[in-house]
Amino acid sequence: MTRSKQASDASQNELLRLTGITKRFPGVLALSNVNFDLKEGEVHVLFGENGAGKSTLINVISGVLTPSEGAISLYGQPFRFSSPQDAREQGISPVFQEFSLIPDMTVEENLYLGREETTHGFLRKKEMRRAAMRILARLGFGIAPNARVSALPRAQQQMVEIAKALVTDPRILILDEPTASLTEAESARLFEFVRELRAQGVGIIYISHRMREIRDLADRVTVLRDGALISTVHAQDVTDDEMVELMTGRKAGVLYPRIPHNPGNVMLEARDLHTVRDRVRDASFQVRAGEIVGIAGLVGCGKSELVRAAFGLEPIDRGEVQFDGDTYAHPTAAQSLEHGICYFPADRGAEGLAATRPILENASMAALPENAFSIRGFLRKGSEKSRVQEIMERLQLRPMRLFAAVGSLSGGNRQKVVLARGMTRGTQVFLFDEPTVGIDVGAKAEIYALLGELVAEGAAVVLVSSELPEILGLSHRVYVMHNARVVAHLEGDEITEDRILSHFFTDHTDAA
Amino acid sequence: MTTATSPRSREFVATVKLLTFPLLILAMFGLFAMFEPRIASARNLVNISSQSTYLIVFALAQTVVLVPRGFDLSLGNAVSFTSVATALALTSSFAAGLPGYAVVVLGLLTGLACGTAVGLFNGFFASVLGIRSFIVTLGAMNICYGLSATISGGRPVFNVPEAFTTFFYSGTFAGIPAPILWTACVAIAVHVVLSNTVFGRTLYLMGCNPRAVEVAGLPRRKYFAIAFVLSGALVAIGALMLTARTGTGEPNLGGNLLLQAIAAAVMGGVSLSGGRGGVFHAITGALFITVLSNGLNFLQISGYLQQIILGLVIILAIALDKSRD
Amino acid sequence: MTREQRQTMTRITHETPPVRLDWRHHLTETTGILIAVILGLMLILSLVEPRFLAAQNLANLLRSASILAIISAGQMFVIIVRGFDLSVGATMAMVSVVTAMVMANVPEGTATSLTILYGVGAGFAAGAAVGLVNGLCVAYLKVHSFMVTLGTSSIVVGLALYLTNGIPVYGMPRGFSSEFGRAIWGGLPSAFYIGAGLALLFWVIQNLTTVGKYIYAVGGNFKSAVFSGLSANRYLVMAYVISGLTAALASILLTAQIGSGQGSIGGVLTFQSIAVAIIGGVSLQGGVGKIENVCLAALFLQLLTNAMELLRIQSQLQAVILGLIVILVAANDIRKTRSV
Repeated sequence: MTRSKQASDASQNELLRLTGITKRFPGVLALSNVNFDLKEGEVHVLFGENGAGKSTLINVISGVLTPSEGAISLYGQPFRFSSPQDAREQGISPVFQEFSLIPDMTVEENLYLGREETTHGFLRKKEMRRAAMRILARLGFGIAPNARVSALPRAQQQMVEIAKALVTDPRILILDEPTASLTEAESARLFEFVRELRAQGVGIIYISHRMREIRDLADRVTVLRDGALISTVHAQDVTDDEMVELMTGRKAGVLYPRIPHNPGNVMLEARDLHTVRDRVRDASFQVRAGEIVGIAGLVGCGKSELVRAAFGLEPIDRGEVQFDGDTYAHPTAAQSLEHGICYFPADRGAEGLAATRPILENASMAALPENAFSIRGFLRKGSEKSRVQEIMERLQLRPMRLFAAVGSLSGGNRQKVVLARGMTRGTQVFLFDEPTVGIDVGAKAEIYALLGELVAEGAAVVLVSSELPEILGLSHRVYVMHNARVVAHLEGDEITEDRILSHFFTDHTDAA
Repeated sequence: MTTATSPRSREFVATVKLLTFPLLILAMFGLFAMFEPRIASARNLVNISSQSTYLIVFALAQTVVLVPRGFDLSLGNAVSFTSVATALALTSSFAAGLPGYAVVVLGLLTGLACGTAVGLFNGFFASVLGIRSFIVTLGAMNICYGLSATISGGRPVFNVPEAFTTFFYSGTFAGIPAPILWTACVAIAVHVVLSNTVFGRTLYLMGCNPRAVEVAGLPRRKYFAIAFVLSGALVAIGALMLTARTGTGEPNLGGNLLLQAIAAAVMGGVSLSGGRGGVFHAITGALFITVLSNGLNFLQISGYLQQIILGLVIILAIALDKSRD
Repeated sequence: MTREQRQTMTRITHETPPVRLDWRHHLTETTGILIAVILGLMLILSLVEPRFLAAQNLANLLRSASILAIISAGQMFVIIVRGFDLSVGATMAMVSVVTAMVMANVPEGTATSLTILYGVGAGFAAGAAVGLVNGLCVAYLKVHSFMVTLGTSSIVVGLALYLTNGIPVYGMPRGFSSEFGRAIWGGLPSAFYIGAGLALLFWVIQNLTTVGKYIYAVGGNFKSAVFSGLSANRYLVMAYVISGLTAALASILLTAQIGSGQGSIGGVLTFQSIAVAIIGGVSLQGGVGKIENVCLAALFLQLLTNAMELLRIQSQLQAVILGLIVILVAANDIRKTRSV
């Protein structure tokens, strides 16, 4: 099928058109004046960095959020969604990254949740079983219909999620990074299926920031940056570099500072770490002073758990961590901090910040036991304030309001408050877990520059990231993880997109 | 960015907010006094302030666990348990002929031992095993009920020695009535702990985000358990004061005291979802409840109706708590 | 596009058959343990204390267990939706008073059956009203249920005592008290038949209807339930209304048994119902809980109470033991969810 020609055919029926959509949250403008449209039988990719507004946009389309301004027309008629259910009844099926499955129910119960086949309120279980098996078989996923969802691995949960979206025969299907936790074979099966749906006339909104997928699937691409529409282009008309430029707003390569590699002593080393719940299996890594070490891998591959275990946040089954000349079988966060190791969590809302408490308290949180902050358990409030003020000035917090609640800050400022924590005590090893999630491009550049400064001053930096360009642009060395194991270690010229990706997908099912 | 509110005007707004509730209590007091002038008499004012002391201590006990996002349902029955156990220790030691100061010390130690034991029990299960605090304290509530009913046989324990009642109730120190003095000491101590120590700071932070506190390397579980122990000690002090006031060990205090303590803390502005509220809030909340029940008593509103009103106050407090977020 | 069209396009690749489950799967671990413990306890009791096997004792045991199971069934639904109903005891007091007052105050000459109907109807209405208020507060104020139900229980008990001045209400027809409340039909107490019927009804709801599935879904993951298009708040409220209704039913049975309406009824039953639900494997994390296990747990707890009575253990100490059991079972519940 010659899809590119079909896609550009103007006579195709329009399924959805958004005009001037704006969405405000307290303190944040998530979307500003965005236009978007979707035609029958096309795959329209939403492209942008984390925090560019993609998720907000699909939440608006699927009725989860109501836009602050703007108009939606569906199948040519003006329309206002009042609820997710409303959108679903109109034939819009979203597959979110955050799962919408009930863990303690079976696959078939989940597939039909909210649209069960019934007679007089009684469930027609046999019919639903048959239909569920049909859908699962059609997707080619080997999942038993009466398996409990909580017992399935993440990749299979993702498949159930997709199957659930198809139960209603949608006209518009939304896929939000559906391959984030799938293997290559599973992804290939999914792509085949997406093409099949497109041939049947379903309109598909596909969120991804993987070039390969976009090349494989996209008819049109809409690029968002910092909540604004940058451009909508035909996929075959632009090169990869042009697309990255549209996404980041800078020439490729300019965003990432050139950071000299001056490796010194080994500051932190993990040997054969194995966590209690097998999220990390026999993984080793080390980081030296004066270098940035990247850890790359698919979502759920264990890369975040690896650094968390080394820092002391995940229970360790066996293996050891070495820092400051000592070896620890079960390091604690307090010990790590004491020895100058600081972890910066990916989910700043859930793990980093106490939102209703002031900036001051959040910034000094990790350093409270230090002498500058407390003596014999009593706080030294004056000293605390001047120290934090000093650090926030270096980080250029604007506006400088130390007693404002953290919840009222923008994403960039929140990250600065978290970063301040590393500077309140003499931190030498910085473990960054997805440091630029939910941050605009300007703040991102500031953070990259800060990483450069830190390394130049002799700090050791570990960078866990799902954004491949970030890993490629900053790391001196890269560990690649797959299925809870470290499967590759790349250095210098070996660090290329293709090499890293090849390790993402190969199944290393060693007998160990 | 232009700041619409200057730091000074922001401070002003904060002060006004802080004073709204105390003014409201005054207004309510005035309203009651219009119906019944005796309410505004000097004697009743002294009465209200001494009555409110007990509730202040219990509201503080509840606040200390509410701040780190805990909850204590065992409070009322723990008071009964402590009261009965102390009274039994006191009467038997007095009968054994111990001198007055020794009786006071013994009573204090017994009470603190009982209260902190309950706190330790709650703290252990809630923090070490990670069971939700309200289910732990629900269990502890029944255990305390069973224990106090068993050791007292379900009847009040009479004849608490005078040395004890003087020290905790009828005596004055430098002209200050004992209950007011002890409550002031407790309030100041709790204030210092909550706002000037690493422990107190951590309670607020973990009430707001427990996982962030762990990532920051602070001993969350340990401090959460200590919060319960501290709360237990406060419960014990309140129970001792109450025992001294009635002169008996009371086995059936239970439910109403718990409801009043929660209502006072939450009404005063201590957040049910943790991380907000302090000594000032507990005191104003306790004053509110005391002024309300004092007024209702003067107007001869039946106890049953007062129970209904207390329930309504709790629901109102929840709604207010929600609206503050 | 039609389903037929779709099917023609479908290439059946490989169909995965459902995992084969035999009858044993449907009996969970909890069921097995409970049955074993109950049988063991009965055996020991009958050996140690012959009075246990007396017909009167068994009938009393079964009646109390049935009433406890009824209250706990309502509590189960509330815990499934991640709540707690601390107002069931208060609701029982209120229902008892309302039912008795209505029956005692019907105009002279009303038929006995109508008198009973009015009383029972008023009782159920009162129970449902308390449940509705709880449910609405929890669903729309989004506050933890135990705070709300603590508040409503104070209000409701206050109301029950205010209406009666704390004095028991007499004057119910004999047809209600001795001929129904204390009746033994076919060797089994009347309450048992009603409890069994209710259990069957709830089993059908949980296993064969959408309502049952939706209540599980709302408790299992509220957000997902909303995303799946359920009116999640409606099922949340429904759980509390069911709890109000079961508390009403239990109260009516108890009132009929005692023969008077009392504002002090139901004191320890709140805690017992929570204990039964937790022992019966209803998870505190929500979304899990089966009526059959809750019934077994009620029988177990009543047996335990009976044993302590027969062995003359002070009734207050029972509260201590119950408190410990609940905390230990809750600890086990945490352990189970962590190990997954």
